[in-house]
Amino acid sequence: MATAVIARAPGRSRWPSLVPYAVLLLATVPILVLYLWLFYSSFFPRIEGFRPVGDFTIDNWRFLWDPQSVPQLRNRPPIIPLTINTFVFATMTSLISLLVSSMAGYAFSRLRFRGRRVFLGGVLLLHSFPSVTLLIALFVVLRFLGLYDKLVGVILVQTAFALPFGIWIMKGFFDNIPWDLEMSALVDGAGRLRTWWRIMLPLVKPGLLALGVLLFVEGWNQFLLPFVFMPSGSQQTLSTLVRGILGEGRFVDYGLLTAVGLYYIAPILVLFVLAQDQLMRIYAGGVKG
Amino acid sequence: MRVVLEHLTKKFGDVAAVNELDLEMRAGEFVALLGPSGCGKTTTLLMIAGIYRPTSGAIIFGDQRVDHLHPKDRGIGMVFQSYALYPHMTVAENIGFPLELRSSVSKAERDKRVREAAALVQVAELLDRRPAQLSGGQQQRVALARALVKRPDILLLDEPLSNLDARLRHEMRGEIKRLQKEVGITSIFVTHDQLEALTMADRVAVMRDGRLQAYATPAELYAKPANRFVAGFIGSPPMNFLDAELAARNGSVVAKIDNLEIPLAHPPATTADTRAATLGVRPEHLAILPPGQGDANAEVYVVEPMGREQIVDVQVGPRRLRAIAPPGFAARIGERVGLRFAPEQIHLFDPSSGDRIA
Repeated sequence: MATAVIARAPGRSRWPSLVPYAVLLLATVPILVLYLWLFYSSFFPRIEGFRPVGDFTIDNWRFLWDPQSVPQLRNRPPIIPLTINTFVFATMTSLISLLVSSMAGYAFSRLRFRGRRVFLGGVLLLHSFPSVTLLIALFVVLRFLGLYDKLVGVILVQTAFALPFGIWIMKGFFDNIPWDLEMSALVDGAGRLRTWWRIMLPLVKPGLLALGVLLFVEGWNQFLLPFVFMPSGSQQTLSTLVRGILGEGRFVDYGLLTAVGLYYIAPILVLFVLAQDQLMRIYAGGVKG
Repeated sequence: MRVVLEHLTKKFGDVAAVNELDLEMRAGEFVALLGPSGCGKTTTLLMIAGIYRPTSGAIIFGDQRVDHLHPKDRGIGMVFQSYALYPHMTVAENIGFPLELRSSVSKAERDKRVREAAALVQVAELLDRRPAQLSGGQQQRVALARALVKRPDILLLDEPLSNLDARLRHEMRGEIKRLQKEVGITSIFVTHDQLEALTMADRVAVMRDGRLQAYATPAELYAKPANRFVAGFIGSPPMNFLDAELAARNGSVVAKIDNLEIPLAHPPATTADTRAATLGVRPEHLAILPPGQGDANAEVYVVEPMGREQIVDVQVGPRRLRAIAPPGFAARIGERVGLRFAPEQIHLFDPSSGDRIA
């Protein structure tokens, strides 16, 4: 008797919960199909329309072990250094942005200083500023600093563009931490810096992780800045390589494009799967024991 | 350590949250800052802690003026209303945090003192837990241990009991009082609950609108409240107040309320012919008698049995007064009774200033 009741209860509640899943599935299907198509097509020699034709082959993937045999890659830096560049670029931009925005966000959340409101408004304004409009000005600045055509220069530019968003997100997370905790740390003998490091930062860890993932993805996907500010090649990133394959000549090798494209997005997919719990929390920050 | 506040003032914009506060606490004393919300008691505590900077005035610990010092340099421990335990640390790490910041305390010494402090407040078996896994009472004890572990000169408590349920509150009331005497540390606690202040403190500072209303022992506050506000704020159920006129009768003084005349055992010192006054009498000093006896005739309005006693509201003419009757007292609503004012226990206040006149 009892087991029957228990068994029925979840059965009844299953139907309503299926509705959101159905809606989400419907919205996700086109994306999923495209990813599967991308994966499937990368193992065929040609693509006609949307249909892969010919026999199964791993030829498209030979850029991994024999890049010299791929004509489109012959005049380009090898894929591994490009991957490392991309990784360094995404990691450095997200780490520096995390450090600066967690400190700035804390200051905006907790300290009352002259010009705070103006500064906050300015940060928001910068966030809504399209980066394309600044390209020429940034070019002049990078040239002046001797950072043009260097990875460091592009890292700094990307970090600067990422900061407004990061600062606002981190300020939001710090705002959610009760003042009592901070006062308590002050009374316990901690200074500002130690309070930030030992008390506040651990409490916004979900926010840091989520923001870190978003910034990393943004850096990994960034095309415009590396393309414009690192023209000479050896320091380029994967996004410029994909663009190169697409834009070279009249004939586009879609087989190669699918393989390189998959290689390019694979780390991001893995990262999302690993970090989805953290990402969900970016809009639900707060102190939980 | 002795604590002295001199002309302490804190303004937020144009509003004075604390206004010219003068207060002195003796070493080892347990003092309550009592008042309704917004009276400036918590602001005062945060100034003593060093979290708020006073607009003017001085804060002195011992012989040293401290109002320019950072909280960490004042030798204080503090328990917050929310307990403010660090959610990401274990109980042991929470208690040890103040010592972690002192390079003079070694790791071994820190562990020893954490265990001592935990044992003092009986949370020794909880050291590996996290705050979220503790009950409200346990969190409170951990917060106390953290405040005491660095052996501060002064302990500050902000509404320490308000987040606990009624039964636990009673238990912790006694616990904190015992602990304070055991450690012998000068302690200041903020509360809006007059019962907490009366039961725990050696002396109570009553505040209203940023100003000190009275500063005395619980017994003095109860027996001789300095003004009408204090008289009404202290005691439960609260004191009855009546508008009266003082008049001479056969060489003594009576308080006239409409056609009632209530004899006064302690008339005011001033000898003006007649003057208006606010008469105050506590419910336990109103005796309910058979009809026709006592100072006034009354009618029972409602009876609330409390077990040990009963609270009886009676109607006297247009006014309603509250009295306390023994448990055996049986009266129905609407029944006529007599009412006697205990002449020794009548308080008189100036109707305009509210100051005590007798």
